[in-house]
Amino acid sequence: MTEALSASKLADLPPEMLDFTLLKPAGALVPRLGRLSIPGRRTLLTPDFLGNTSRGAIPHISQDNFGKTGLDGVYIALEDFIEKHPQKTPPIFKLDTPDPLRRFTALPKDTIFVLGARRQPPIPSANANTNSEIGILTSVGFQVISSEYYAAAARKLQPDIVVGLADIPFGQPTVGLKRKDKMSDRTETWTRDIIAKRSTIDKSEPRFNIFAPILPIAKEVQSWYLEHLLDDMVDKISGVAIYDSHLLDELPEELQHLPRLSFDNPSSPHELLRQVGLGMDLFTVPFVTDATDAGIALDFTFPVPQKTNGTERRSLGMDMWKSEHTESVTPLTDGCKCYACSKHHRAYIQHLLSAKEMLGWVLIQFHNHEILDAFFAGVRNSIDKGTFEQDVATFEAFYEPKLPEKTGQGPRVRGYQFKAQDHGKSTKRNPKAYKSLQVPLNAFHGQQPNPNPDVRDVIDDDALVGLVGMEHVDPTEQLEGLKIEDDRS
Amino acid sequence: MAPVSMPSALRYELLAKCSVTKARAATLHLPHGPVPLPIFMPVATQASLKGLTPEQLEEAGCRLCLNNTYHLGLKPGQATLDAIGGAHKFQSWPHNILTADADVSFQMVSLLKLAKVTEEGVRFLSPHDGTPMLLTPEHSISLQNSIGSDIIMQLDDVIATTSPDLARMTEAMERSVRWLDRCIKAHKYPERQNLFCIIQGGLDLDLRRRCTAEMVARDTPGIAIGGLSGGEAKDAYCKVVDTCTGLLPEKKPRYVMGVGYPEDLVVSVALGADMFDCVWPTRTARFGNAITARGVLNLRNAAYAEDFSPIEEGCQCVCCRSLDEGGLGITRAYIYHVTAKETAGAHLLTIHNVQYQLNLMKQVRQAIIDDRYPTFLKDFFAKLYDDKSKYPQWAVDALKGVGVDLLVD
Repeated sequence: MTEALSASKLADLPPEMLDFTLLKPAGALVPRLGRLSIPGRRTLLTPDFLGNTSRGAIPHISQDNFGKTGLDGVYIALEDFIEKHPQKTPPIFKLDTPDPLRRFTALPKDTIFVLGARRQPPIPSANANTNSEIGILTSVGFQVISSEYYAAAARKLQPDIVVGLADIPFGQPTVGLKRKDKMSDRTETWTRDIIAKRSTIDKSEPRFNIFAPILPIAKEVQSWYLEHLLDDMVDKISGVAIYDSHLLDELPEELQHLPRLSFDNPSSPHELLRQVGLGMDLFTVPFVTDATDAGIALDFTFPVPQKTNGTERRSLGMDMWKSEHTESVTPLTDGCKCYACSKHHRAYIQHLLSAKEMLGWVLIQFHNHEILDAFFAGVRNSIDKGTFEQDVATFEAFYEPKLPEKTGQGPRVRGYQFKAQDHGKSTKRNPKAYKSLQVPLNAFHGQQPNPNPDVRDVIDDDALVGLVGMEHVDPTEQLEGLKIEDDRS
Repeated sequence: MAPVSMPSALRYELLAKCSVTKARAATLHLPHGPVPLPIFMPVATQASLKGLTPEQLEEAGCRLCLNNTYHLGLKPGQATLDAIGGAHKFQSWPHNILTADADVSFQMVSLLKLAKVTEEGVRFLSPHDGTPMLLTPEHSISLQNSIGSDIIMQLDDVIATTSPDLARMTEAMERSVRWLDRCIKAHKYPERQNLFCIIQGGLDLDLRRRCTAEMVARDTPGIAIGGLSGGEAKDAYCKVVDTCTGLLPEKKPRYVMGVGYPEDLVVSVALGADMFDCVWPTRTARFGNAITARGVLNLRNAAYAEDFSPIEEGCQCVCCRSLDEGGLGITRAYIYHVTAKETAGAHLLTIHNVQYQLNLMKQVRQAIIDDRYPTFLKDFFAKLYDDKSKYPQWAVDALKGVGVDLLVD
């Protein structure tokens, strides 16, 4: 019934209009089911996740393989495309074609594009935000963009959804009350700004949908912003982007019907479940690619599998570097429908990692996306059946609370992928690719790999182009340092 | 050792011969299906072609790729290969595989100080980790039997073609013949794996002739010309290929090892060679270099930042085809945007370069079948160089030797 209703409603909407229907309407702080539709794009059933792109690609997935990830939508950061700004017009703005961002990144026509200013998670910029600009980090260094520039970029690039600019001092350990007032004021100005700029777009031109940011500060401190959002912006926005999931508790009634995109980056499936339980709808899940880079094949289902042996808590992922996989011709996860599991086996994937072949990360990335996809399908089903709360409790008891520690090296880390504070540290981010050979030439029969793992994996011609080796960098820890002190106490 | 006829697991079906040059078009029937000759074989050194899935390689049209014997011997190792049932199963590749020790040869050539060749085999330090290793002909064949490749290569004694030491060169050539005998003797599955000999002898044409005669007498299913592509002058390279092919039986495939630049391929085909391999097309892709009919473009150059044309106009790879043609419509500007920053950028350009090489050989083959290979050669060079004065002299000379004058329209 709701299907038919929504379909007819959809037909009346202007072309780019986003429709979000709550399939299982619920009060505050309970999990909800929704359907996000944009004409011409794939329909997102929520809760769900967006592919988290880097420079327009899901890491390791060439565009011809994108379909194998099963993704319906992607998150794209503007800072990935504007290196030349402001000295030169970034190339992408010179691409003279409809839907330039989609054409440039060569992603499918029906994939939902969500554009934000910063990568997820954002790396703190050395440039502080000002009244008119926010600091960003491009692949060539720190930069600032103005609200005006952002709106113009959104108009030119024609994504389906644009997340408004938020004034958040990433990387600042504590934020004082005055600064928080400023956060609220600036974010309001910028939100008004992008709404106003969009209203000037000619009716014949594609119009993006706006998600308004909800700041990671107490409701009272951003109350002016929220009030104004309700007073005169609520009918102009199509969703909210929430930087702190605890704020869901205090989200005004008038915003309840809007889809909620989480920028409170989850570190584990448990954290995803917690946020879903509070009523979050959409996620970018950076831990998927982090796990892939670490050679960890995710291995969890929701609800937990029926048949279980033993009482020990299960690991959330499998470290594919481990030599126990070298002769295993089983898929990563039994019954998994992903491309890697249907075509290849553990032994090959273990080999690819250990040989530093890029295909290892490609295959694990397919798998990890499929695991997440099935996870969210399970979550929706569980909410639908009304068993979500019990299923979460069982899940928490069944699996370990954290993803396994990584042991192997990942692909080479790029400057735009690690935090600025790491500069000048004595530890190397990427290990040396070559070292001199100083072993005496002795007779030796057989061809065993060197038992010393430190030197076993040292050489690789990919080192020349920088696709190997990652050390001492944990992108997730970047944001953990960010604590916003609550001044109420 | 008395020459003995050995079983063969291939069939060479000659389709056409160029009426001017020595070029041949054929179909080579191998255990995992037929492949067109002449052929370029992409190099999946460690059982993976630089980030591409075997399926992507298949979609690019590849039906025969290389694995490296020595690398697979290190990782995953012979025991694993035996347990899993060979390299086809290991990498889920349903088509043909050729295994070579090309890298060992290369290391012997380039790291001679670290390698010691005795009659028993080659002792050297692993470039992976400095572990001392011994590779004998028996090891090599046993490993390739475990790998289960459709074409296996003998272990040979390679020294730099540029070496002035004729005595050492002669020794290497003669030793390679003795090692071939040991390889033939050690080969367990001649009925399902084709052993190719490798002709050595440096740039000395007399040595090459002697080696060719010895090896042809051993009657292996296919014949490789080795030790080249190690920095020798191109005209000397051409003389060696021309001399060897002139002495080879018509009904066997001829493989020139380590060759992959487009102009080297088309000239070598004219000199009578059929099979080639090289890491260059896939390696150079990772540096942002795109191979096109008009030369190699370095797409990391800022000149391409705003170039929204395909990598190569008219190319049929999935990157270059437009959306209307069912492709991705990837632009040079996007490659510039991601190359050396995202692994996916390397994958895209690798797809293009592999497709370029395979397509080039497809065109070469069709031109031979249509008996218009001389015209093809002229068109090829005219596209690659904007002026005849820029044509490489070695190519002009080599092709003149087989009846094609590039400088005359």
